[in-house]
Amino acid sequence: MTAVLDAPPVARPRLHRVRARWGWGLGAVAVVVWSLAGAGLFAGEVVNPAGRAQFGRFASAALSPALDAEFLRVLVTGALVTLAYAALGAALAVLLGALGAVAVARTTWGRRRLGWTLTRGALAVPRGLHEAVWGLLLVNVLGLDPWVGVLAIGLPYGAVTAKVFADLLDEVPRGGHDALLAAGAGRSSAVLYELLPPAAGGLLSYSFYRLECAVRSAVVLGLIGAGGLGYQLSLSFSSLRWEQVWSCVYALALLCLLADVTGRAVRRRLAAPRSSPTRLARDRVLTAAVLGSLALVAWSWWYLAVTPATLFAERTREQLGYVLGAAWPPDTDADLLASVASLAVDTVQMSVIAIAVATVGAVLVAGVAARPPGRMTPGRRLLGTVVRLGLLLLRAVPAPVWALVVLFVLLPGVLPGALALGVYSFGVLGRLAAEATEELDPRPRAALAALGAGPAAGWLYGVLPRATGPVLAFALYRWEVAIRDSVLVGVLGAGGLGALLATQLATFDWGAVATTLVALVLLTLAVDLVSARARQALR
Amino acid sequence: MDAGERVAVVGPSGAGKSTLLGLANAAVPPTGGTVELLGADPSALRGRTLRQLRSRVGTVHQQLELVGQLRVVHNVNAGRLGSWPASRAAWSLVRPQGLPAVLEALDRVQLADRVYERTDRLSGGQRQRVAVARLLVQRPELVLADEPASALDPALADRVLGLLAGLAADRGGALVASLHDPALALRHCTRVVGLVAGRVVLDAPTAALSVRDLADFYGAPR
Amino acid sequence: MSTRRTVRSGGPAARTPLSRRGFLAGGAAVLAAGLAACGDRTSLVAAAPSGSTGRLSIGAIPDQDPEVLQRLYRTVADSMSGALDLDVAYQPVTDYAAAVSLFRTGDLDLVWFGGLTGVQARLQTPGARPLAQRDIDADFHSIFVVNTATGLPPSEDLTPLAGLRFTYGSETSTSGRLMPAYFLQEQGVDPAGFPGGPGFSGSHDATLALVASGSYQAGVLNEQVWTARSEEGAVDPAVVRYSRTPAYYDYHWLLGPQATERLGEELPGRLTGYFTGLSADDPADAEVLDLFGAGAFIPTEAGNYDRIEQIGRRLGLIS
Repeated sequence: MTAVLDAPPVARPRLHRVRARWGWGLGAVAVVVWSLAGAGLFAGEVVNPAGRAQFGRFASAALSPALDAEFLRVLVTGALVTLAYAALGAALAVLLGALGAVAVARTTWGRRRLGWTLTRGALAVPRGLHEAVWGLLLVNVLGLDPWVGVLAIGLPYGAVTAKVFADLLDEVPRGGHDALLAAGAGRSSAVLYELLPPAAGGLLSYSFYRLECAVRSAVVLGLIGAGGLGYQLSLSFSSLRWEQVWSCVYALALLCLLADVTGRAVRRRLAAPRSSPTRLARDRVLTAAVLGSLALVAWSWWYLAVTPATLFAERTREQLGYVLGAAWPPDTDADLLASVASLAVDTVQMSVIAIAVATVGAVLVAGVAARPPGRMTPGRRLLGTVVRLGLLLLRAVPAPVWALVVLFVLLPGVLPGALALGVYSFGVLGRLAAEATEELDPRPRAALAALGAGPAAGWLYGVLPRATGPVLAFALYRWEVAIRDSVLVGVLGAGGLGALLATQLATFDWGAVATTLVALVLLTLAVDLVSARARQALR
Repeated sequence: MDAGERVAVVGPSGAGKSTLLGLANAAVPPTGGTVELLGADPSALRGRTLRQLRSRVGTVHQQLELVGQLRVVHNVNAGRLGSWPASRAAWSLVRPQGLPAVLEALDRVQLADRVYERTDRLSGGQRQRVAVARLLVQRPELVLADEPASALDPALADRVLGLLAGLAADRGGALVASLHDPALALRHCTRVVGLVAGRVVLDAPTAALSVRDLADFYGAPR
Repeated sequence: MSTRRTVRSGGPAARTPLSRRGFLAGGAAVLAAGLAACGDRTSLVAAAPSGSTGRLSIGAIPDQDPEVLQRLYRTVADSMSGALDLDVAYQPVTDYAAAVSLFRTGDLDLVWFGGLTGVQARLQTPGARPLAQRDIDADFHSIFVVNTATGLPPSEDLTPLAGLRFTYGSETSTSGRLMPAYFLQEQGVDPAGFPGGPGFSGSHDATLALVASGSYQAGVLNEQVWTARSEEGAVDPAVVRYSRTPAYYDYHWLLGPQATERLGEELPGRLTGYFTGLSADDPADAEVLDLFGAGAFIPTEAGNYDRIEQIGRRLGLIS
C-alpha cells in the first residue's frame, strides 16, 4: 500500500486550453475589433465634447420631471393604455405560444426531422421582425385599430414563446409519459398528467417574464402611434421637452417594476412551493397572480374596445391585398441588393458593439446589483438598490431616445447607434446577470471568505468563473434581439438596415421594403444559428 | 483547546458539528457568548485584520465548496487568496502562480496528474483531495475539517487525515475534525468531543475510549 | 401641540386609523376614477371608421409642437363640430407615414398634411382633395442653420455647406427635407452627399439641438419653428441662422373621398368655408388659429403642389 501511495509522480500534464472555447473566444474578440474598426473608432475623432451641454440638459431634466396635474392625468391614461396593450399582447403571445409549442415540439414530430426543421424555421419569420416593424405593417392593413398594437406584440412574442415552451416541454424526462401510454392512456391525457406538471413552473414563470417585456414593447409601439405612454413620450420627445420625457420614463419604469415584482413573486413561489401535505390547498400568491392576470386581460379587452370583427372585415382584406400587391415581387435590382448587403454589415457591427458594451457593463455591475444571501450592511443595501434602479431606468428610456442623446456627445456614424443600443441592452443584460449571480450557490464564495480572501479575490475565484457561462449565454441571446432593435436606432444617421427600412417605409416603396425585411429575417436567423453554436461551446 | 491537540468531533446528524466548525472559522456569528480564535475575538475585527485572522484558519468543508468551473490549480491556489493581493490573484487566473507549491501539495494527495483538469470533471473523492491540497498551500495554524474523509477509501482517508494532522503540527497548531468513522477518530486524534443536540456530552482523551464507545454516537453498531 | 397637528394634517377633522370600510370606499373611488378615465377610450386608440356614418375623423402629421397640438386636439375638434354640426373626432398620430397610410385606409377623413405627405396621400388615395392652407403656407420658407464653430457668416450661397456634417429633420418633411434638398441641388450641392451622409434628426427641435451640440455642424428646419424658438429665447447661442430658402407651398388640409360619400357632396365646401371663416377676432377661433400658428386659413388647390410632386419624384421620395 505504501508503495502505491508513494509511487513516483506521473509526468505532469501541460496547461492546455480547450480548443473550441478558445476558438470562439478569439473569434469573438476579432469580431468586436472588426466592428469597432468599422465604426471608425480607430480612424479619427469620434467624441464631440461640445455636445456635453445638450446631453446635460437631457440628464438634468431627470431631476425635474414634469409633474403638473394636467400632464399627470395624461400619464395615468397613457399608462393604462400601455398596460392594456401589454396584457393583451402577452396573453396572445402565451396563447399562440402554447399552440405553437405543440406544433414545434420534438414530442409531436418524433423522428420526422424535416417537418420539425421546417416548422421551426417558419417561426423565424415572425420572430425576425421587430415589434415596431410589425406595428408599421399592421397599421397599413388594419388602420387605426387596437388590434395593431395587440398583434404587433403578440405575433413576434408568440413565435419566441412557442420556441421556449417547446424547449421546456422537450426537456421533461419522457419516462412517465411513455409509461402512461404503455398503460393504455390516450396521448392527450398522457401529456396532461406527465408532461405538463413538470413543465408548468417554467411555463408560468416564462409567461410572466413575457408580460414584463410586453410593457416595454407597448411603449415602443406607442412611438409609432399605438397610443399610451410611448405615444406621449414620442410627442414630448419630438419637441425635446425633456422634463415630460422623463415623467413618461418614470411612469414606464414604475409599470416595469410592477410587472417585475409580480413576476419575481411568482417565480419565487414556483421555486419554493408552500403546500400542505394533508389538504388540497392552492398557493394563494399563485392563484391570485393567475386570477389577476385573467382579470387584467378581460379589462384590457374592454378598455381597448377590441373586437374580432375588424380582423375579418372586408376592408382589412382589401388593404392586405393592396400592401401585398405592392410588395410582391420584392425588388431585386442590383443597386438595392448591394446596399442591403453593405448595410447589413453595418447592422451586424452595430449589434456586436452594442452587445460587447452591454456584456462588459453587465459583468461589472452584476455583483453589486445582485441581492446577496444573508444580511447586508445598510450601505451595501443602498448601493444595490441604486444600481438596480439605474438599470431599470437605462432600459425604460427607449432606444430611439438614447440614439439622439448619445448623438449629442459622439459624432454621427455607426458608433452612436451602437452605443445607444448598448446602453439599452446593458439595462436588460445587467438585470439578467444580477439574477444569474443571485442564483449561484453562495457556499464556495463563503468558503473563500472563510480562508481570508478579500472581496475582489473572492469575486474573481468564487463568482466570476461560475457566472461567466450563464451571462455569456444571455448576451448571445440578446445579440439576436440587438439585431432587431437596430431598426429603432438606424434612422438617426446611424445607418444599417434600419435607416434603409425607415426611408423605404416613408416613401412607400413596398417592393424594397419587402427585400429589406427578407434580409432582416435572414440576418436574424444567421445570428441565431451562430449564437446557438457558441452557446453549445460554452456548455 | 491547546496547540498540538487533535480533536475529533463526533455526534449524530444535526447535532451541531458543522455549526461548531462554522463558529471556529468565523463564518457563523455566535448567538450568545464569545468565540476566542487564535487569541482574538473575530466578531470584534473588521476588514483586513479579520481577513488576516481568517487566513490562519483552514477549513475543509463538508460540501467541499470548490468552484467546479475552475481548473484544479486555481482551486488549490485559492488557499492563498488570504495573503495574495487582488492583482496577483487575478493574474494567476491567466498564468498560474506559485506552481511548485501547488504541484507539491497535489503530489501529497496524489493528484498531480490532474493539475489542469476542470474541477467539476473530478470524482467526489478526487475533489475532496483538491480541498485538502488547498489547505496544504494555505498552511493554516488551525485546521478545521468537516467530514474530510467521507468519500475516500480507507487507505486514502488514513493518509488525508495524516496530512491534515501533520499540517496542523507543522505550524504548531491544532486540528478539529468532525468524523464519521470512529476508527479514524481514535487513530488520528488525541481527544474526542461528542455532541448531541448542540450540547457537549462527551469530552475525553482518545486513550480512554474504544471504538465501541464511539459507535453509540452514530446509532449504528459496528 | 394638537393645533399644530391639525394644521399640518390639513384640516380640523380628527385623523383616525383607516377603517376597513374607509379603505374599501377609497378603493372604490380609485376604481371609479379609473373607469372615468376610460370613458373616452374609443377616442384614445380606436375609431369606428366604416361603421359610424356621421362622424368625421381628423388628424395631423406630427410636425411642429406636436405635443401641444395633439394634447389640445379637443379645441380643434370641438370648434369644428360646433360650426359644422358634425361629430368630429381627433385621432392622434405620431408618424408621418402612418398618417398617410391611415388616410388611405379611410381611418382619417381630414388630415393636416405637409406638402410632400399631402402629395403622397393624394397619390395613394384617388379622389382626395386639398381644402385649405394657412396664410403662411403659400409663402413658406426653411432656414439653414450652422454651428458657430464653423465660423460661416450668413449667406445666400449654400455651397459651403457641402463639406459639413449636415442633418435634415424628418425624412418626408417638406420644410425639413424636401425643399431644402431641392434648393441645395439647385446650387449644385448633392443633397445626399455631405461627409458621412446626411442625418435625419426626426424633428425640427432635434435638428436645433444636434446642430447646437456640434455633432452635426449644419442643419435645416422650418422657418416657423425657428422664429418661434428664437422668440422664446430657446435657441442655443451656438446655433446661428445661415440662409433662408425661397418660398414654396407647404401644409394643407386634405379631405378623403369616403368622407364626401358619407357626409354629402357639400362637405368640402362647408369645410373650406369653416376654415377660411375662422377669424382671429373671435376668441374661440383665435384659439384654433393659435394652435396652428396661423393668422388665417385660405383656400388651396392641388395644382399648388405640382412642384412638390415633381421634386419628390426627382429626389426619389415619391415612387
